[in-house]
Amino acid sequence: MMKRFLSAACFTALVAATPAWAHFQMMYTPQSALTAGGAMEMKVVFTHPFDAGHTMDMEPVDEFYVIQKRGEEGEAKKVDLKTYLKEITWDSKGSKGKAFEAKLPASVVRSMGDYVFVLVPTPYYEKEDEEYIQQFTKMIVNVGGVPGNWHEPVGLPAEIVPLDKPYANWTGGVFRGVVLSAGEPVPFAELEIEYLNHEPDMKKNAFSPKGKIEAPHPAFEAMGIRANAQGEFTIGLPKAGWWGIAALGVGPVDTYKDKALAQEAVLWVQVTDMK
Amino acid sequence: MWKVLLLAIIALASSSAFGHTAIMSCFDNGDGTITCEGGFSDGSSASGITFRIAQNGKSVMESKFDEHSEVTFPKPYGRFSAILDGGSGHLIEVRGENIVQ
Repeated sequence: MMKRFLSAACFTALVAATPAWAHFQMMYTPQSALTAGGAMEMKVVFTHPFDAGHTMDMEPVDEFYVIQKRGEEGEAKKVDLKTYLKEITWDSKGSKGKAFEAKLPASVVRSMGDYVFVLVPTPYYEKEDEEYIQQFTKMIVNVGGVPGNWHEPVGLPAEIVPLDKPYANWTGGVFRGVVLSAGEPVPFAELEIEYLNHEPDMKKNAFSPKGKIEAPHPAFEAMGIRANAQGEFTIGLPKAGWWGIAALGVGPVDTYKDKALAQEAVLWVQVTDMK
Repeated sequence: MWKVLLLAIIALASSSAFGHTAIMSCFDNGDGTITCEGGFSDGSSASGITFRIAQNGKSVMESKFDEHSEVTFPKPYGRFSAILDGGSGHLIEVRGENIVQ
């Protein structure tokens, strides 16, 4: 009995010390600031981006679309992209999981302006926690440099609205945003920030086994911060590449199929070196 | 004094669109026509701004960007340049050979 207690205690301690439980819904494309429109490829993976940890099997996607707008006076156009999703297997240092890719033709991303890509996954059941997780995810691309709707809420149940362009950030700068739940700011929202540390290989559908940096301490892998009283947050951007921001459990719906549901908001931000 | 201030305000207001970079992008529609989109880096519209097609250094067509900041025109034969002419140094030229579908 004592032995079982000790091994259970050891397991609990191990779980508590493991920082890799920050799930991130990834929407990845190599470049978000495009000089011209054209065909574009995207990978949709539910994983742990800092350490290329366990990749979860994704369920079929509820919604996948883009809202495009050129200029402040332009008309926002919504295009359903679900038809382009194709199931793939993503390799995360040997941990393989069901994911998706989307090969978008030039006709989708042709005009100048902002493209707000939105993914609404089916809630994922996390057996260990006996709860569902649903991460409403946004990734914003710009073509040509004429801005559009990068700062406009899409109207998701849980959403991070950028206060800075997610595709135009220099290394060493800061990024700001607001956490919304059903359109209202979430005071002191809990956020996690992760660096996409293992370069995605678009051909192999895999993370590079070697990370770009090493964290000196678990708290540097999934960095936990809080929004302020207005639901706003600011993060520093110390390294070029992609950064994922997740607002945890902020959505208004908390049950799904008689189990607890965490509705979360994810936004991806790309950082570029000054050269 | 007030006249000077008023003139300064008018000058600032009227130049607001020119503190930003003019941008133009063109693509071949694949049906014998080309569409050029104009705009500014702050999201301002290019509607009403002059658009020209030049061949051999001469302007062969002149138009204005429409309410959607776009111009569509038949693809010219031979070498040409599409030009957004916003005045005050806002001249953007896209060469025909760089316009693809």
